[in-house]
Amino acid sequence: MYEWDFTAVIENSDLLWQGLLGTLAITGTALAFGLPLGLILALSRLSPRRWLAWPAGFVIEFFRTTPPLVQLFWFFFALPILIDFRMTPYLAAAITFSIQSSAFFAEVFRAGIVSIERGQWEAARAIGMERPQAMRRIILPQAVKRMIPAFTERSIELMKTTTLVATVSYADLLYQANELAQKTFRPIEVFTATALIYFVVIFGLSLCVQAAERRLAVSGDSTVR
Amino acid sequence: MDYVWDFGSVWEYRAALWVGLVNTLKIFAICLVAGLSLGLAIGLARYSERRWLRWPAACFIEFFRNTPVLVQIFWFYFAFPILAPFDISALMAAALGITLNSAAFSAEIFRGGIQSIDPGQWEAGRAIGMRYREIMGRIILPQAVRRMMPALTNRGIEIFKMTTLASAIAYADVLHQARLIASVNFNPIEAYTVVAVAFFVILYPIVRATYVLERRLAKGD
Repeated sequence: MYEWDFTAVIENSDLLWQGLLGTLAITGTALAFGLPLGLILALSRLSPRRWLAWPAGFVIEFFRTTPPLVQLFWFFFALPILIDFRMTPYLAAAITFSIQSSAFFAEVFRAGIVSIERGQWEAARAIGMERPQAMRRIILPQAVKRMIPAFTERSIELMKTTTLVATVSYADLLYQANELAQKTFRPIEVFTATALIYFVVIFGLSLCVQAAERRLAVSGDSTVR
Repeated sequence: MDYVWDFGSVWEYRAALWVGLVNTLKIFAICLVAGLSLGLAIGLARYSERRWLRWPAACFIEFFRNTPVLVQIFWFYFAFPILAPFDISALMAAALGITLNSAAFSAEIFRGGIQSIDPGQWEAGRAIGMRYREIMGRIILPQAVRRMMPALTNRGIEIFKMTTLASAIAYADVLHQARLIASVNFNPIEAYTVVAVAFFVILYPIVRATYVLERRLAKGD
């Protein structure tokens, strides 16, 4: 029978905390760039101009249908050769997950914008608003509220996907866990503790999403997925 | 942009890529079949009225949905062999992680599909003397599965993308083979571009098909 012993994990817990900070840092960076980029992609895809709509559609579909690990390897190993540039694991991860999440966020934005009734567009036009103005002042404020649950869910997905950065040795939680497991020869305890840390953080966030969804449901607004 | 693209070096090693693609399809098939079947069983347990079935199913679903799949794969590869009395290959560890993760996600799809069926169907089944099992197998599931097709296809696409994670524990999937080719030939640009394009070419028609399926279902229901 295997004897569980968590002392090695507890003694080195600062390593895991640093890793968690690394995970949060890359998630935050990807969110900060992914959200605006996603909005731009969604607006371009919805644009009546084909030379805007088609490339945006292609970027969205391409980054949604290729595995994020392939994208990460491409940006980490291939891009630096192409543009002759020193790539760091953090930068490669930030580029990959910003673009990858923006493709998914774009679809959330699009679904939200499309879900607004046509009457709102017509009303805006009736009082003399141009399309960009109507989008900014009438449509987006209403759409964003409906999108909140889908956004938080996507952000949770993003946090789970950031574990891939461990494979290009960015010091996120999983990478630190791997190091610690090799150092202490206690992989069971280390990886179990790591899984639990992820579970506590992500499940906590999921509960917040559910609460937000209930509140939005009470306020009588539908939400989009 | 004065880089000279040279796909010839990748073409020379096409046999290695081919082996990788076959391995990718192998792990995908295992995870798809095992993940969806286990997902159905857990989804049914989660829907059951018996607490001793419902609660463990709920714990399983929440745990595997709320931890990253790569952590699960690492756990099965580095930690599980110490507890288990037998050796675990990279294929087994990766397949276990991806299967359990997919089972948790598809269980929620099955539960949602079953719940979406009108209660009148249950009552009708009971009225003609059918038992729970019969109603579920003959009336509810056939209707529910039709509605779930787009969500299940999306899960399948996710599983296919997830199989690349097996390369992180040195399973010789297509990404791992590309990495080998890149390190032998110093041509990461071509090697990874080929893999990315291959995934897009394989998956995009399926994605389009789900769009069509969704539209047709929206019209039918």
